[in-house]
Amino acid sequence: MSRSTLHRLLSVLLPLTVATALHAQGSAPPAAPAPDLSDPEVAHVAVTANAIDVDLARFAQARTRHAEVRQFAATMITDHTAVNAQAAALAGRLGVTPADNAVSQSLLAGAADARTGLERLRGAAFDKGYMDREVAYHQAVLDALDGLLIPTSSNADLRKLLVDVRPAFAAHLEHAKQIRNGLGSAR
Amino acid sequence: MITTWLGILLAVGLQGLAPRRHVVEIHGMAFRPAVLTVARGDTVVWINHDIVPHTATAPVPASIRAAAAWDTGQLMQGQNASYVPRYAGEASYICTLHPTMRGKLIIQ
Repeated sequence: MSRSTLHRLLSVLLPLTVATALHAQGSAPPAAPAPDLSDPEVAHVAVTANAIDVDLARFAQARTRHAEVRQFAATMITDHTAVNAQAAALAGRLGVTPADNAVSQSLLAGAADARTGLERLRGAAFDKGYMDREVAYHQAVLDALDGLLIPTSSNADLRKLLVDVRPAFAAHLEHAKQIRNGLGSAR
Repeated sequence: MITTWLGILLAVGLQGLAPRRHVVEIHGMAFRPAVLTVARGDTVVWINHDIVPHTATAPVPASIRAAAAWDTGQLMQGQNASYVPRYAGEASYICTLHPTMRGKLIIQ
């Protein structure tokens, strides 16, 4: 797998946190991948994106008293940590050292805003807010995969990876919807 | 001649009764096959091929013997775990990390 492929592969991870940050700020999900970055910068963004999601799930675990929401957060920690480990291993094999950059800083700022919004919520309102965010987040990722990344991917290894990763996001979305529906409609 | 034929028949008969090994592949966030028919004493092996970890877990309904339930624990990519069913019946199971993943053993 070439560095160019790594660049595109890691770019797939960008919408995860971009979508989350934008959703938290009331904006529409991104319609295209993030701006062009060097491979080390893309690697840093990917690692940051996963770390942000793990951190928010940890916060949710500490805040929620709902067993299903807590279990969902635990699964997000487990799965995103596993994906991050794969991305890190790939970067390591290719000799790429993650480099901090403006996109990573922007994602961190957006995540902080999302965290601030959720920190105001307690009890059932928090559970609904967190699960709303997770539904929108995973839907945005699937839209990006289906509408852009998989159809336009020309590298066989990259395409296979995208196709292999997609069911995990689909399962996360379905799981999130089930939990959210069980929480009721009103905040 | 008769002894030879009896030996063949006996061997075939014993082979039919011998415990078998079944493999359930975990791939693409699904158990494959999702429904598997086995005999008591057979070995069922779950192998996880996904990047994310999974379990194959049958809860313990009050109406079912505890020995009919199992939990593989978390299987990381490339890991496997096995279970030998001892009681006949149908046993539904899930991945506790991803409850939308469902499977069933039909134990004869």
